[in-house]
Amino acid sequence: MIAAVLAPVLAPYDPLSQDLRRALEGPGGDHWLGTDYLGRDVLSRLIFGARVAIQASLQTVAIALIVGVPLGLFAAYRSGWWDRVLMRLLDVADSIPGLVLAFAIIAVLGPGLTSAMIAVSIIFAMNYMRLSRALALGEREKLYIDAARVSGLTERNVLFRQMLPNMAGPLIVQSTIYMGTALLIEAALSFLGLGLDIGAPSWGGMLSGATQWQNQQPFLPWPPGLAITLTVLAYNLLGDGLRDALAGEGSIRGIRERRQARRLSSRPAASAAEIDGPQAERIALSIRGLSVAFPTDTGIVTVVDDVSLDVRRGEMLGLVGESGSGKTMTGRAALGLVPIPGLVTAGSVRVDGQEVVGSSEAELNNLRGGSISMIFQDPLVALSPVHTIGRQLTQAIRNHDHDLNASAVQDRAVELLEMVGIAEARTRLRDYPHQFSGGMAQRVVIAIALAGQPSVLIADEPTTALDVTTQRQVLDVLADLKDRLGMAVVLITHDLGVVADACDRAAVMYAGQIIEEGTVDEIFKEPRHPYTSALLAAVPTSAGGSGRLPTIPGRVPPMDALPTGCRFAPRCLHRRDVCKMGPIELTTGSRCIREDELSLPGTTPVLRKKS
Amino acid sequence: MGIVPQLALVSVAIFLLTYLIPGSPAAVLLGPRATPEGIAELEERLGLDQPLVVQFVEWVGGVLRGDLGTSWFGNKPVTKVISEHLLPTISLTVGGILVAILLGMSAGIVAALRPGALLDRIVGLGTATGLAVPSFWLGVILLGYLAVQLGWFPVLSWTPPSQDVGLWLRGLVLPSIAVGIAGSAVIARHTRSAMLETLAAPYVQTLRAMGTPRRTIVARYAIKNTMVPILSVIAFQLSTLIAASFVVEQVFTIPGIGTQLINAVARKDVPVVQGITLVVAAAVIMIYLLADIGYALLNPRARPQ
Repeated sequence: MIAAVLAPVLAPYDPLSQDLRRALEGPGGDHWLGTDYLGRDVLSRLIFGARVAIQASLQTVAIALIVGVPLGLFAAYRSGWWDRVLMRLLDVADSIPGLVLAFAIIAVLGPGLTSAMIAVSIIFAMNYMRLSRALALGEREKLYIDAARVSGLTERNVLFRQMLPNMAGPLIVQSTIYMGTALLIEAALSFLGLGLDIGAPSWGGMLSGATQWQNQQPFLPWPPGLAITLTVLAYNLLGDGLRDALAGEGSIRGIRERRQARRLSSRPAASAAEIDGPQAERIALSIRGLSVAFPTDTGIVTVVDDVSLDVRRGEMLGLVGESGSGKTMTGRAALGLVPIPGLVTAGSVRVDGQEVVGSSEAELNNLRGGSISMIFQDPLVALSPVHTIGRQLTQAIRNHDHDLNASAVQDRAVELLEMVGIAEARTRLRDYPHQFSGGMAQRVVIAIALAGQPSVLIADEPTTALDVTTQRQVLDVLADLKDRLGMAVVLITHDLGVVADACDRAAVMYAGQIIEEGTVDEIFKEPRHPYTSALLAAVPTSAGGSGRLPTIPGRVPPMDALPTGCRFAPRCLHRRDVCKMGPIELTTGSRCIREDELSLPGTTPVLRKKS
Repeated sequence: MGIVPQLALVSVAIFLLTYLIPGSPAAVLLGPRATPEGIAELEERLGLDQPLVVQFVEWVGGVLRGDLGTSWFGNKPVTKVISEHLLPTISLTVGGILVAILLGMSAGIVAALRPGALLDRIVGLGTATGLAVPSFWLGVILLGYLAVQLGWFPVLSWTPPSQDVGLWLRGLVLPSIAVGIAGSAVIARHTRSAMLETLAAPYVQTLRAMGTPRRTIVARYAIKNTMVPILSVIAFQLSTLIAASFVVEQVFTIPGIGTQLINAVARKDVPVVQGITLVVAAAVIMIYLLADIGYALLNPRARPQ
């Protein structure tokens, strides 16, 4: 840019002065980048060429902006008939490549950059129209435009004063990209001799000359080619930089932070409490002191803090908590599926006695589906939309049974579908996920999870995305399979009704910690933590007569700004100063320091009738 | 919008181009020393003396019968000009899009598998550069070094396949790379972000939770899901790639439609320019249509039940 403006000062030689005796020299003393076939100084021509290139790209984009943006705003603001006409024009512009249109214009108006670049700018203008229309339609939804209109601003005022500044970001980014495109088109036209007069210095023209003399002076194509590449690159990088700056943070955390977090992580403690006696065989999932952390801008945030759980075969444990309490992350950690950049920083997870934390990916793949499976919240997105369910089900079977032949795999797939209650299983194998209702799709997901005959099933809010009638059925399927297959099931949910309905035991999580654990009866009838009691009070019951449903005041504290003492203390009705003194340990089933003095109201777990 | 009205609008736009010529096209053709009689005679011969509407109806009628008019130079039918040079252009375009898809998709996938890692950064730098390199310059450099100096590829890039299939393919390698690089950069960027999105999708979690090895997830499931959004990117690249191939033809002296178009532009042979522009526009519209069909084939949700 600077070079273009200062060209006459910077250029060591007149770009047009010829010295045939010194033609086709390589780079050297007098001529830093050598000379061309007429002995003209390449560096000087390059610097003057920059003027043409940058002028052409600026001009083109400026015209396109001036024409396109108002049209787009107009189309968005008027909508209806005008909008449709303008959109048709856009379709036409879409079907003719910019360079070809430039050719056509030159054919009609004669060689020269101005007319051709105007034609290119018309195509750009159409795209600006599309972009600004889309942006304006988005902006229009926002309230401030209504507010502006109500306060009596004129239409033009609304369009230009209010909307335009809010759309500037995407338009600027698009402009940097178009400046590059325009420059490339200018260079192509000059290269073909359809742009400026061949003698005038332009990068494309220099390249064209260089091509003819490449055999004598192979260096000649490099300076103009690199000049074009670097300028367009600069435009594009500028655009990328602006986009990142406008979008705020980069989306992926740095590797450095991940490494830092990894250093914190410890291998599972070998001393993790071993369980002995006859109980040991019945425990399918054993979690000890599990902590999961994520690196963030403000440091490393622990989202699961020292969680311990045991689940026996044939038992369903409800893991209850509000969103963000760490219950899902606990479930994922049990399969070694903590999403990047999160890490297990402490503790141990054993499935059938086998350690998950620290296992290799191959070991984990054997465990996953084979010993422990997981099903996720929304069944309609939990299956690949472009593959049949048969394909996905057989994948799950083959992952753990490599030698089964094709027809045996097919039979097993049918058997699994029938097991979860899907009719006409054999034909349905050929269907795609979108051909199933939510409840049926969740049954398919359950069938997939069971394909490797796991002893533990983690069900993450399996009924939340379903409507009430199908929730019931899916829970029944889960409870039935748990009994028949003797599985240990962890049911992650925020719905205490579901817990009362289907679970044997429950663990309540708050802000990354388990705050209370016990049998469903204990927890419901005699909660020992104020949070549990408050949760129970917030559940609508058919028995609970009149008045408003109580809610818990305040909100879950952010995980990077936890209170020092009891994490629930700021919202607790029973808090005392002692609660804020220091971390509270999970003692005999509750993480409340006043456990013994408080008598908290509970409720009777209302069991809905099994259908 | 349906194809037929879109083609109709495009043909109107292309027809009207002729009338941007300042003064009479015949006067322009005959040059500064033309006599008024000469201009009138030529106008009559070319049908330019008819009212605009009549000329348009005749042109459109011709287009519908597959007649794109006659070149103002040499009286050759435009359709013949196009059909004689179609094969090199199609060869180059197909070669270019193959380079763009193969290079672009594999680079995008590799980058997405380990975001932030060294390979991802290399791909990021490569795509930024690939977007900026002018295709014709790349052609000049490839031809100069790999073909002329090292002799790895034929210096004469075009050999008709009827003459020697092997030579035809070898000759197409360098021009295809020159044409395809920019498209590969765009496809790589889109593939990378689509792949990242796919790998974060819940169904990938399901596949992982059932113990599917990562390699299988990527190869059998993620790529097909990623193809769905990439298809329209490829279609869009194909249309810009056609234009790029016209310029690259010049570098490699490939006798395709681009050469015809550029010659016609230089001597203001309006019917040829119109004809080629219309064919390109029609091809682009067809490509978009094919992309729509491909989308339905890939994505079962878009299929009629």
